[in-house]
Amino acid sequence: MKKIGVGLVILALCGTFVKLGFWQLDRAAELKELQKPYVEQPVIALTDIAQPSSNLSDNAINRIVTFSGRYAMQFDAPGQEDKNGKKKTWLVGLLEVEGSGAILVVRSVNGSDIPKGEVTVQGRLLVRQFEDRVAKSDGALSRLDPSLLVGMYDLPIFDGYVVAQSEVVDGKNLNLPRVEIDPARPNVPGYYWQHISYVVIWWLMALVVVFLPFYGRKRRIEEGVRA
Amino acid sequence: MNGVIKRYRFMAFAAGIMSLLLWFVELPVVYLMDNPDLAAKVKWIPFVHGYVYAFYVLAAIHFTARARFTIKRMILFILAGTLPVASFLAERKVMREFPVQ
Repeated sequence: MKKIGVGLVILALCGTFVKLGFWQLDRAAELKELQKPYVEQPVIALTDIAQPSSNLSDNAINRIVTFSGRYAMQFDAPGQEDKNGKKKTWLVGLLEVEGSGAILVVRSVNGSDIPKGEVTVQGRLLVRQFEDRVAKSDGALSRLDPSLLVGMYDLPIFDGYVVAQSEVVDGKNLNLPRVEIDPARPNVPGYYWQHISYVVIWWLMALVVVFLPFYGRKRRIEEGVRA
Repeated sequence: MNGVIKRYRFMAFAAGIMSLLLWFVELPVVYLMDNPDLAAKVKWIPFVHGYVYAFYVLAAIHFTARARFTIKRMILFILAGTLPVASFLAERKVMREFPVQ
């Protein structure tokens, strides 16, 4: 019975170490993938790749999406940084997508009224921000995160936000200075060869766990012979 | 046995130095200081530490097995490489128990 218990513990430890090794291997592969330039994909309808009240899938992030609807609210988002590192207050609208939920749309870097009527937006879909850019205050978004609107708005909201590249109202393109931003890059801490070294260590640990019982047995036998 | 002890002592020093560099140089630079240039200069530390620790583990197993240590002591020697000063302490202990001829 004791042997079975020890065997199960060894199996569990060994499996855990092997799995940790694979996890580090995945991170190393992910880091390598990040070094490749981002390849733009065709424009797609927002509702084809995202649903309100659901987390954004990995393949939805960075896609150029298009959708139509009406703006319900508008906010300032101070302290936002564009691709050149310039910090400005962005103008962010909450657009009710036809037949679906609402989504945050970064409209411009300049103040502008909410357009009346139906608006067709095309822009890049990005993952929500997790850290406040400024202190929380009324009428301003401290970060671009739909969860900040919970309790303020009833319709379901899409995860993430869209940085508008164009807005068309009644067939006319709204001429606003747009926010310039690079595609988001997932942040994997560390370096490729660092993760590979951890793969080596975890798998070495798995081998050590398998080796230890044999070592213990050999030691007991030797002690028995000496006794 | 002398060669095994020397190898273990060398790896204990190397693992100890790399742990010190990792804990007190690389981690503070990357996580406490907002200085990408400095972070780039210390990026070799974590992966050198990773490989040095792997070799330390092999040296520790070789030494503890040859010295016929118990499994518990073997595990403690393996873990000693993960903390900044523990491998130095382990190396001192080895020196007391097995003075090199």
